[in-house]
Amino acid sequence: MSHTGEHAIHVTGPKTYAAVLGALLALTVITVAASYVDFGAFNTVVALIIASIKGSLVALFFMHLRHDKFNAVIFVGGLLFLAVFLIWTMFDIGTRTTVLPSNLKTPVEAFPGAPLNKPVRPATGQPVGTPAP
Amino acid sequence: MSTATNTAAAEHGHSKFLQHHFREMSQQFEAAKIGMWLFLVTEVLLFGGLFVGYGIMHAKHPEAFMAAHHHLDKVMGALNTIVLLFSSFTMVMAVWASQTNRRKLTILFLVITLLCACTFMVVKYFEYSHKFHDGLLPGKYYTHKGDTVPGQFMFFSFYFMMTGLHGIHVLLGMMAIIWILFRTIRGDFSSDYYAPVDITGLYWHLVDLIWIYLFPLMYLIS
Repeated sequence: MSHTGEHAIHVTGPKTYAAVLGALLALTVITVAASYVDFGAFNTVVALIIASIKGSLVALFFMHLRHDKFNAVIFVGGLLFLAVFLIWTMFDIGTRTTVLPSNLKTPVEAFPGAPLNKPVRPATGQPVGTPAP
Repeated sequence: MSTATNTAAAEHGHSKFLQHHFREMSQQFEAAKIGMWLFLVTEVLLFGGLFVGYGIMHAKHPEAFMAAHHHLDKVMGALNTIVLLFSSFTMVMAVWASQTNRRKLTILFLVITLLCACTFMVVKYFEYSHKFHDGLLPGKYYTHKGDTVPGQFMFFSFYFMMTGLHGIHVLLGMMAIIWILFRTIRGDFSSDYYAPVDITGLYWHLVDLIWIYLFPLMYLIS
């Protein structure tokens, strides 16, 4: 059996890996710099996009998914389920309105905007003296 | 060459590492890789649950998360990111060295990877002990005084859960690397059989991948 073999296992060289490391370090600097810039509502989105570019570089080059389509399908399949989990949950959180019991006219705002002049129980954020939930 | 025994065995038809239920080494390698990738997907979903929880609480209490993250040291976080990215690079270099029958280089790169992992854990230790000292702890153990924004204990619940679980993964990865290092020194691996190095590499890169998301979400909220 020869070293390369007929199955053509791709051997990526150190130069490529070093270039990928350079890109990852550059993107780390960019993500730290971006945290000082205010993109308004898109702050987290920008951070996640940069993180995803870095993650893709790691997966494609270091984890060899570039030459490994079968396992790429497995991995991306898993990520799709994670995306459904995350995005649908955030839709739910973002579109929910406060439903009040009929005997309350306004929502109870003890937490997180609890009055700061009163002592707050650290574990629940409720003012001291209120019954535990 | 240092791997003369293995290649000699391969020339006689099969390596001594070929398990009897596989036809050939490449089939064994592919099967092992699929198993590892399936495991990595379960790991992604395990951390995914925590990320979703973090997303919900961050969306509901943005000012508490914003205030709490100022207790984290960005420099320490960035340092750990660089250390982990570099260790990922040395790990992939160890896989390459193993693939191309460079035993001594494999050992060197694995040792550097281990040292990086140790550095990561030491930095983590200093961060954790600073937070223990200031009472920045999860849930009811939160005893930090002088807060102007309530509810910061929640951020630290996620912080300790997520970085703690990640830290456990780093420790497990270190154990796997020590095992690989031991087997490399023994001379088990060659271009015909390096699956354990490759698979340990995959695990180590996943640990790196998770940190790539943890770093901006924990340290760089703005």
